[in-house]
Amino acid sequence: MQTNLLSKETSAKSTNMSDKINHPQLCQWLDAIAQSRDKQAFTHLFNFFAPKILRIARGKFPNEAQANEVVQDTMSNVWRKAHLFNKDKGAATTWVYTVMRNVTFDMLRKIQGNKEDNLSDDIWPVAESMSCESKGFDDHLADKKLLSVIEALPQAQQDVIKGFYLREMSQEQLAIHLNLPLGTVKSRLRLALGKLKVQLGEKHD
Amino acid sequence: MINHHPKFELIKSFVNGDLPASLSAGIAIHADMCAVCQQTISQLTEQVAEHSFEEVYLDRFIVDNESLETVAAIDFNHMINDIVESSDIDIALPAVEKTVSFNDKQYTIPAVLSSMKLGKSSHIGKLTRSRILLNENEIHSSLLHIQPGGGIPEHTHKGFELTVLLDGSFHDESGEYVKGDFIMLDGSHQHNPVSTNGCLCFTVANDALHFTQGINKLLNPIGSFIY
Ligand SMILES: [Zn+2]
Repeated sequence: MQTNLLSKETSAKSTNMSDKINHPQLCQWLDAIAQSRDKQAFTHLFNFFAPKILRIARGKFPNEAQANEVVQDTMSNVWRKAHLFNKDKGAATTWVYTVMRNVTFDMLRKIQGNKEDNLSDDIWPVAESMSCESKGFDDHLADKKLLSVIEALPQAQQDVIKGFYLREMSQEQLAIHLNLPLGTVKSRLRLALGKLKVQLGEKHD
Repeated sequence: MINHHPKFELIKSFVNGDLPASLSAGIAIHADMCAVCQQTISQLTEQVAEHSFEEVYLDRFIVDNESLETVAAIDFNHMINDIVESSDIDIALPAVEKTVSFNDKQYTIPAVLSSMKLGKSSHIGKLTRSRILLNENEIHSSLLHIQPGGGIPEHTHKGFELTVLLDGSFHDESGEYVKGDFIMLDGSHQHNPVSTNGCLCFTVANDALHFTQGINKLLNPIGSFIY
C-alpha cells in the first residue's frame, strides 16, 4: 500500500499525463477562428489559455490591472491574428506563447518608460512575411470602387492606408507626416488592411 | 563562416523575452543569418511554450483553492465578449527593405531594426556612427561603420560590448570576424579591432570605452562616442 505522500505524487504524475496538451484540438480551434471567426472555438481556446497567461503575467507584473491587460491583449491578438498561425511551422502553444511574450515585452518597454514603439513583432515575427497577399491588395486598390470601402474606415485608419497605398508614402514618412509613433502607423495600417480584407471577402462572396 | 554565437544562457533570456530590445535585436539579427542558432531558438521556444502552458495547467490541480479563486476574480466572460465583438483582422505587412548609406556605400538594414529610429550620424576619422534611438538609459545601440583600414584603438569596457557584424569583416588579437558573427565582450577583454576592407556593425554597449594605451588614452573623452 502506498503512503499518502506517494499517492499524491502518483496522482500529480497521472494528472500530468492525462492533461498533456491536446495539440490537434488547439490547432482546430485556431483554424475555426481563422476560417469562420468561430466564437465558440475562441471561447474554448480562451478557457484553455487565459488562466495560464494570467498566472504567468502575474509573475512579471505586480500590478493586477497590467496582468489582466496581458491576458486581454494576448487573447485579442489571437482573435485578430489566428489566420497568421501556420501549423506546419510549429505548435499552437508555441504560437500563442510568441503572441503572449510579444505583448508582455512591448508592455514592459512601455512601463519602463522606454517607448511605445511595439518592437516585439520585428524581433519575434508572429507570421511569415506575407508579401504575396499584400500584392493582391495593391491590385485591388487600383480599383476605384475600393475607395468607397476605404472611406468607410475610421478616419485614423483611412489616413494611413491612403498615405501608404494611394500616395505611396513610406511608413516612416507617414509617421512624420501624421506626427505619430511608427508603431502606431504600423498597427493602424494592419488593422485597416484587415478590415479591407473582410470587406473584400464579403463582397466577392 | 560564422564562428561566434550567443551563449545558450543569452538565447534562453531572449526566448523568455527578458533581454532589453537592443540585445534582443542583436540576437535576432544573428539568428537571421545563422541557421544553427535559429534552430536552437525555435526548439527552445517550443519547449518553453509547452512548459508554460502545461505546468500552470498542472498547478490548477495541486495549488490550493484560494489562488484559484483569485484567478476567477477577473471576469473572463466579459473579456471574451469584448474580444469577439471586434471584426478586426490583423494582417502582416509586406516587409519593406530599408537602406542606409555610409560613405557612399548602401547597406540594407536588417528587418529587425526596420522600425527603430536612427539618430544623426557623426564621424571621427574612419569611423561613422549612427545611434539607434531605443531609449534604454545606459545601454546604447548604434550602427557603426568602419572605412577600409580603420579601427578602434585598444580599449576595455567596464560593462559589456556586443558587436554583430552586418557586412564586411574585421580582426583583432583573437582572430578574424565575418558577416553574421555575434561578438560579446565584457570588462575582462581588451582589444583593438581593425577592419582592412571596411565593415558595418550593429553594436550595443552599456558603458563608454576605456582606451588603455599611450597616446590613445587622450581619446578617453570620446570613448562614449564610438559605442
Ligand atoms: Zn549562431
